[in-house]
Amino acid sequence: MDIFESVNMAVKTLTANKLRSTLTMLGIIIGNASVIAMVGIGQGAQRYAAEQFESLGPNVLFVIPGSDEARQRTFEVERALTLEDAEAIASQVPSVDAVAPQLQSQQPVTAGNRRISTLILGTTPDFTIVRDFDMEQGRFFSETDLQRNTRVVALGSDVARRLFSNTNPIGQQIRIRNLSFEVIGVMESKGAFLGNNQDDAVYIPITTMSSRITGNTSPYGTEVTFISVTARDENSINAAQFQMANLLRLRHRVVNEDTFTIRTQKDALEIVGNVTGALTLMLAAIAGISLFVGGIGIMNIMLVSVRERTQEIGLRKAIGASQSDILLQFMIEAVILSAIGGLIGTGIGVAGVSLVAVTTPLQAGVSAAAVIVAVSVSGGIGLFFGVFPARQAARLDPIVALRSA
Amino acid sequence: MKPIIQLEHVNKTYGSGETAVHALADVNLTIEVGEYCAIMGPSGSGKSTAMNVIGCLDRPTSGRYFLDEVDVANLSDVELAHIRNRKLGFVFQQFHLLPQLSALENVMLPMVYGGVPNKERRERAAEALTRVGLSNRLNNKPTQLSGGQQQRVAIARAIVNRPVVLLADEPTGALDSHTTQEVLAIFGELNASGITVIMVTHESEVARKTNRIVWFRDGQVLHDRLMPEDLAQAVTT
Ligand SMILES: Nc1ncnc2c1ncn2[C@@H]1O[C@H](COP(=O)(O)OP(=O)(O)OP(=O)(O)O)[C@@H](O)[C@H]1O
Ligand SMILES: [Mg+2]
Repeated sequence: MDIFESVNMAVKTLTANKLRSTLTMLGIIIGNASVIAMVGIGQGAQRYAAEQFESLGPNVLFVIPGSDEARQRTFEVERALTLEDAEAIASQVPSVDAVAPQLQSQQPVTAGNRRISTLILGTTPDFTIVRDFDMEQGRFFSETDLQRNTRVVALGSDVARRLFSNTNPIGQQIRIRNLSFEVIGVMESKGAFLGNNQDDAVYIPITTMSSRITGNTSPYGTEVTFISVTARDENSINAAQFQMANLLRLRHRVVNEDTFTIRTQKDALEIVGNVTGALTLMLAAIAGISLFVGGIGIMNIMLVSVRERTQEIGLRKAIGASQSDILLQFMIEAVILSAIGGLIGTGIGVAGVSLVAVTTPLQAGVSAAAVIVAVSVSGGIGLFFGVFPARQAARLDPIVALRSA
Repeated sequence: MKPIIQLEHVNKTYGSGETAVHALADVNLTIEVGEYCAIMGPSGSGKSTAMNVIGCLDRPTSGRYFLDEVDVANLSDVELAHIRNRKLGFVFQQFHLLPQLSALENVMLPMVYGGVPNKERRERAAEALTRVGLSNRLNNKPTQLSGGQQQRVAIARAIVNRPVVLLADEPTGALDSHTTQEVLAIFGELNASGITVIMVTHESEVARKTNRIVWFRDGQVLHDRLMPEDLAQAVTT
């Protein structure tokens, strides 16, 4: 008997019992849909995070407190980075273009009778260069503001809207910790960076921040959370990294283990890739389990089907079907069920991913390779889980099968 | 005449030790081409077991079975399947039609396994159904047919590959006397056309239509070529 006949026969059997066939496929449909969706969304998240770093440009470096080794040992950071470190980098490292240390704290902010809680972010004028952040209105604070600890702020666009609605915020006063600050600018709308909404923040000179708001000074000076730096150009990234490391080692009197880590954009992208890659893998593994469960569902139903159809199997043997004919027939039924289930599931998964791509900033997408892999894997699952029931069918003794009324 | 079925010292034992059942005990039986033979005997006497051995659905525990002068003991599963497909036709008491297939498709099934081209399959299936008087029921599903009609579809299926031997285990067991006569008429015609027919039955009237009655008891051939007039006595002993 040729394969075309077997397929034809399997299709007839499966369509004769549509409800059962559909329910059997359901497990594979769900499994495949979730594999496609999880991988698609995971990769979307990866691309999204990577793009955020890429949007900073390749020349960006981050200086963060603590060494990699120390971070693995403890949560505590022994030696803080300070504003003075940032100033030293700016004045002494020639391959560096802009330096933006960052100090941040969540605080209540009031304007008139409106009160909101938002992120106060102390930094330097270079911040707008490093982040490629433009003004919507007014100006960002200047070096002079920085030197004089001026009480001026630039508002993120969301904060401006929440505090001032339609009135022009420029020249207005806001209060943080019972001190009043003058609004000198409103930032352009920029969206989130690594999960932080940059529009929901108040930008303030870092000197003002440490002296008036946080008072956050370490024994070595004004502590900062981290320092963003841009190298002069792509060729000076390595030089910048090397020079900053030397400078900071000197300043921190490092004997053996570094008190800081410098990451390039490439490093950051790599970390993002690793983290989101692991996440994607985990999601895919969970989805894979449901695909596996779907396969077991197929096996289960096929076993029931073999039992129900013993008379049919006996009859087929009596009229000339060999063991391999019967084996093939049941295998094909299992593979058709799982492959079609896989196709439908893939369709649903692709639709889900497209929906995510449309409704969220995640650029989720499904590659053709992922679809091919998913469909052939589900077909393979049918093959794998179909073997056992099909062998049971093939080995049925025709006499016993025909007698079971 | 040429022998088609030869059983030599055939035993079939189920189980072992004290609980062993000797379904066939040293059965010797030769049936020639063109014979119309009834197998009779009390329940449990081994009739169906003998039919299964003859039909290559079962292998004897010991002894030899020649089908068309070939010792089937040495044949593989595929070869046996081929023999069942080409040389043998089966008719069962419970018809065993596939419910999802039409009469025509049921009759086409043996040709599917026999590798007959699709077009020829349809023609031959329609022909076989015409031969059993069902030319107007080709596309009916089994549930849309009476018991007698279903059995006739099953007969059409059994003969569509032009078998040498037709094996029928109580083919009229589920039919009323009228449809029994119809089925027997078909068997008579088939036998007249040269097909060897072997039929298990409990009914004397059915057996009387055949040319040879073999009487089984306790897994043995007790009487062969039993005269119809001696049937009544055989039944009581
Ligand atoms: N698979 C089996 N396992 C064990 N014993 C069996 C098996 N098949 C048949 N037998 C036994 O073998 C004997 C012969 O059975 P068989 O079916 O050939 O009888 P039969 O003559 O066809 O009876 P009936 O007229 O009731 O159909 C019986 O005693 C039966 O119980
Ligand atoms: Mg019987």
